[in-house]
Parts: sequence; structure tokens; C-alpha cells
Amino acid sequence: MAELLQYTITGLAVGMVYALIALGFALIWKSSSVANLALGQLVLISSWFTYSMLVQAKFPYWLGLPATILFAVFLGWAIERFTLRPLIAQPILAMITVTLGVAYFLEGVVTFVWPVSVASLPRFFPQEPVHIGSAVISQQYLWAAVISLILFGILSLFFKYHKMGVAMRATADDQMAVQACAIPVTSVFSTSWIFACVVAAIGGVLISSIAGIGNGLIETGLKSFSVVILGGLDSFIGCMVAGPIIGLCENLGGGYLTTIIGPGIKDIIPFIIIIIVMIIKPYGLFGETRIERI
Amino acid sequence: MDLPSGTRNYDYATDMAVLRTKTHWAFFIGFLIIVFTAPLYLRDNWLGIFNLIGITIIAVTGLNILVGYCGQLSIGHAGFMAVGAYTTGILTGSLGWPFLVGLLCAGLSAGLIGIIFGLPSVRVKGFYLAITTIAAQLIIIWIINHWTSVTGGFMGMNVPRASIGPLVFKSEASQFYLIMVIVAVCLLVAKNLARGRVGRAFIAVRDNDLAAEVMGINLLYYKLLAFFIGCFLAGIAGALLAHWTGFLNGENFTLTDSILYIGMVIIGGLGTTIGPIIGVVVIRLLQQGIIFISPFIENAIPALSTGFTTGLGPMVFGLVIILFLILEPRGLAHRWTLFKAAYRLWPFSY
Repeated sequence: MAELLQYTITGLAVGMVYALIALGFALIWKSSSVANLALGQLVLISSWFTYSMLVQAKFPYWLGLPATILFAVFLGWAIERFTLRPLIAQPILAMITVTLGVAYFLEGVVTFVWPVSVASLPRFFPQEPVHIGSAVISQQYLWAAVISLILFGILSLFFKYHKMGVAMRATADDQMAVQACAIPVTSVFSTSWIFACVVAAIGGVLISSIAGIGNGLIETGLKSFSVVILGGLDSFIGCMVAGPIIGLCENLGGGYLTTIIGPGIKDIIPFIIIIIVMIIKPYGLFGETRIERI
Repeated sequence: MDLPSGTRNYDYATDMAVLRTKTHWAFFIGFLIIVFTAPLYLRDNWLGIFNLIGITIIAVTGLNILVGYCGQLSIGHAGFMAVGAYTTGILTGSLGWPFLVGLLCAGLSAGLIGIIFGLPSVRVKGFYLAITTIAAQLIIIWIINHWTSVTGGFMGMNVPRASIGPLVFKSEASQFYLIMVIVAVCLLVAKNLARGRVGRAFIAVRDNDLAAEVMGINLLYYKLLAFFIGCFLAGIAGALLAHWTGFLNGENFTLTDSILYIGMVIIGGLGTTIGPIIGVVVIRLLQQGIIFISPFIENAIPALSTGFTTGLGPMVFGLVIILFLILEPRGLAHRWTLFKAAYRLWPFSY
């Protein structure tokens, strides 16, 4: 019983971080219908940047973490400005493959600048475990979940009330109408990329402060795709619901199926979920079903 | 524009012929002679590079049928290659079946797995399909790594050399002939497939699948057929790779490779027969160039980090993919057509 509770709470907390990273994907998809397949690499490179700031350059937290955010802002701006803006109105295939090119490039940059393959970040959160009922949970997971929830709240408020947030929602709805209202669509795109990169960076720092930095982070990014697929591509609520579900499945499956099927089953569960969702309900739980006309 | 002036069609057979003029034939025979005498004057390491190029051409031709003609994005092609490679590895290695049967079974099994993972393509497209194929890639490699009793797991498995009857393809040169013959057959099949009824249906599905369905093209059949053919060729390529290296491991078929194959199709030119050939040759030679040149750069500038050699490759390829998509989305094949047209009209500009 203690085991079950522990898997459940850890799964829910990890799922919240997945949801946060997935939110970055949904942001871009909603405003510009670009599928960002470089998510894992964005997570990886911003975690390594944090490592450089905090461990290699030995900056204090109040300087190092904002520096990471700034780096993410720059990264998001640069990717949008130099790779996606020239491709506006190109076929969807080009849009998807260009993010693959970005992914490949970022992976190269990571091996180039940080040749060591694994490292660990300093622990941001208190170490001593918490007892919930009969389960013993590491506090880091709970902190990560709380931070994700707070960020989700802030982003929701931003989209509801801030001028830019409203503009972004409007762009998602109808680009022509938005342009007619004198809203610069390009700056909306660029803002959505900046937001996505910042969110991915925060998610990456949260995950890698728990599990360390390594190429496994790319897989974390890929797992976030299962969150967007399950939740529906264009839904924030979908992300926040599907994230914990994926985390839960992953942890429960990893906990109970390992003895039956074999070690490592945990890593593959999100991808099996992708295939199942694709066959049964391809537009996800909250996604909008698109009806095409000729 | 396609043909030199003065080339006339007197019957349907000449109209459909691939090689039309005497110059075509001369170039073609000259090219064949150069290719098939290559083992006489190339050293073994260069032959090895060309073997790898040949194998990759087969795989990328399959991917081109799937992505370039039918418009179904697959980012799991290395995974389907792995299916073929392990099929032939198990059949010829553990069970002792003949090589040709193993090769055929490799193609068929990869095609069947391709159909299974291609099923969602009937309902979804674009990003959804991309994610499904990424998932396929990861699931396939995971199964290979963990089904230790059959595939050898992380330890890998040994594969015997290819052999037909008493003929064993042991040396690099003999394998070169084997691979090049299979490449030629695959390219011929791909070329004829693409300009026949099936290819036209694929192009209709790519350009607008709803309109194609209204015109009476069976979407389910043709999309799955594209997955089958694309993955069949991937399986053949994987099987040849297995016999060529003689050793298999999940590490040979990573997601990074799948992305690289997509990059090759784009750089070569989507939806052309010559595109995959150009793309593969350019990328593989670029890889060799980087391997060749990076020690010199490293020695010249000692301040560079140790990750320079491994990091340079992905950086260059990522950049090349991005630049091609932005500057020349029709790929090098388009440039090649432009060059041919200019060369025929020279010295006139129109």
C-alpha cells in the first residue's frame, strides 16, 4: 500500500513537470500551428546552460537562474527569427522538418560545448523526505509539482487578461482577422516561441535538478509529446490533465510491470500510450477535431 | 525542357524510355563502367564508404517514396531498418536459412511492421504521424534491446556474411558488387513505380488526400501501400547493413539516424528519383570530410573542447537541413535539372 501511494504521488509530480514542458509545445502550436520537435533538445541545452552558470561559473542562484531564463528568451527569439519566419506559409512538412534540423543542430552544440555526457545540478530544494501517510516521498518532486502548478496559473492568467495573451489567442483563431486589427502577427509568433523556450527551460531545470543532466533529457522532451497527444494539441487544460496521467502510468507501470516484462518498461510506456491514443482517439481528450473541406 | 531539341517520339515505347538519346546511353554506360570497375582502383576503406552509401541509398529511396511521393512523414525509418536487419540476422544466423530468403523476409517483415505503425496515417497526418513514427522507432529499438533471448539485447548479435550458393561475399569488393546490383534493381523499381499508376496515386494523395479520395483513390490502400514499399526497402537496406557489418546492435539504428535520413531526402530533393542518390552521396561524403578534417582543426587550435569532433557533425547537418529548407526546398535535384537545361541551351540563354 505504501508502495502504491509512493508511485502515485511521484508519478503525479513528475507528470506535472512533463505537463509544463508540453505547455511550451501547445503554446507554439496554438499561435502558429508549428509542431516543435526540438522540445527535448531545448530542455537539454537549457539544463546544460544552467549547469555552466551555477557549477562552472559558480554564480549564486539569484544571478544564475535569471541568466538561464534570459538565455531561453534569446534561444526562442533566435529560433523563430532565423528558421521559422522565412518559412511562413510553407507546407507543413517543411515546418516539421525544420524543427528536426534545429534539434539536430542543438544536439551538436551540446556535445560541442559540454563534452562530458552527464553532470548533476546543485540541489535547489531541501533533501529530507516527507512522510505522507505510509509513503516516503522525496521533497524535490513536490516542489517541482508546486512550481509547475504556479507557472500554469500565471500563464492562464496571462492568456486571459494580458493584451499579448489575448492577441496570441486571437492569432490562433484567425490570422487574417488579427492582421486586420493591426496586431503584428510576427511578434506574436516570436513571443510564443520565447514563452515556449522559457517554459521548457524551467521544466528542464526542475527535472535535471532531480535526475541529473544527460541525453536522457531528450527522451523527457519526447515523453512530453505523449502528453500533448493525449491531452489534445491545442488545449492547455489538456496538458495539465494528461501530464499527471502520463506520469502516473509511467510510474505505476515502472513499479509493477518491471518484474513481469523486464527492466526499462518505464521508458517505453508513454510511447505505447501515443500509439494507443492515435488509433482510438487521435485528437486527444480535449483537442479540437478538425474537419477538413476540399 | 526535359529533352534536347530534335528528340522525337514515334511510338509509346520511346516516349516512356528512361534513356532517350545517344548521349544518355553514352553517359549511362560510362557511369556503369566507372561504378563496376571501382574495386580495381579504390582502396578498401573507400569501398567501405561506397558500400555504406549504396545501403543508405536503398533506405532513403524507400523513405522518398513514403515522404516525397506519398507525403506521409516518417521519422522512424532507422527503426524499420532495424526490423529488417534483425530478421535476416535471426533467420540466417540462428536458423541457418539462405541469404536471399533472409533478405526477402527482412523486407517483408519490415513492410508488415511499417503497415502496423502506418495504420494511424489513415486518420491523421502531419505532426500526428511524425509523433507516431517517432514512437514506433523508440518502441522497436526498446524491444530489440530487451528481448535478449532472440536479439542478444544490448550485447548485440553476430550475422554471417552474405552468400549465394557456394559464393560467399567476404571481401569489401565482392560486397560492393552485391550491394550495387541490389541498389540498381531498387532504383529501377522505384523509378517505374513512381511514374506508373501507383506513383500517380501517391502524388495525388500527397497534394490533397481528400481530393484524391473524391476522385476514387482508395486512401487506406494507397497510404498503407506507401508504408509497405517504403519500409520494405528500409528492411532490405537493414538486412544488407547487417550482412555488411557482420554485427548488430540497437545503437546502429538511432532516432538521430532517422532524422539524418529525412535530411538526406530533403537535401536531395523530395519526390524525385535522383534526389535520394544525390542527397545520400553528399551527406555521406560530407561526413567523411568532417572525419578527415577535424583532427587537423583540433591540432591547429588546441583551445577547442574535446567534443569538437563529435559535435561538429550534427551541427553541420542540422545547419544544412535548415538552410536547404529555407533557401532551396526543392533540393539539389532541382539544381541538377536547372543545370541540365542550361547546359543543353548553351551558349544561348533561352
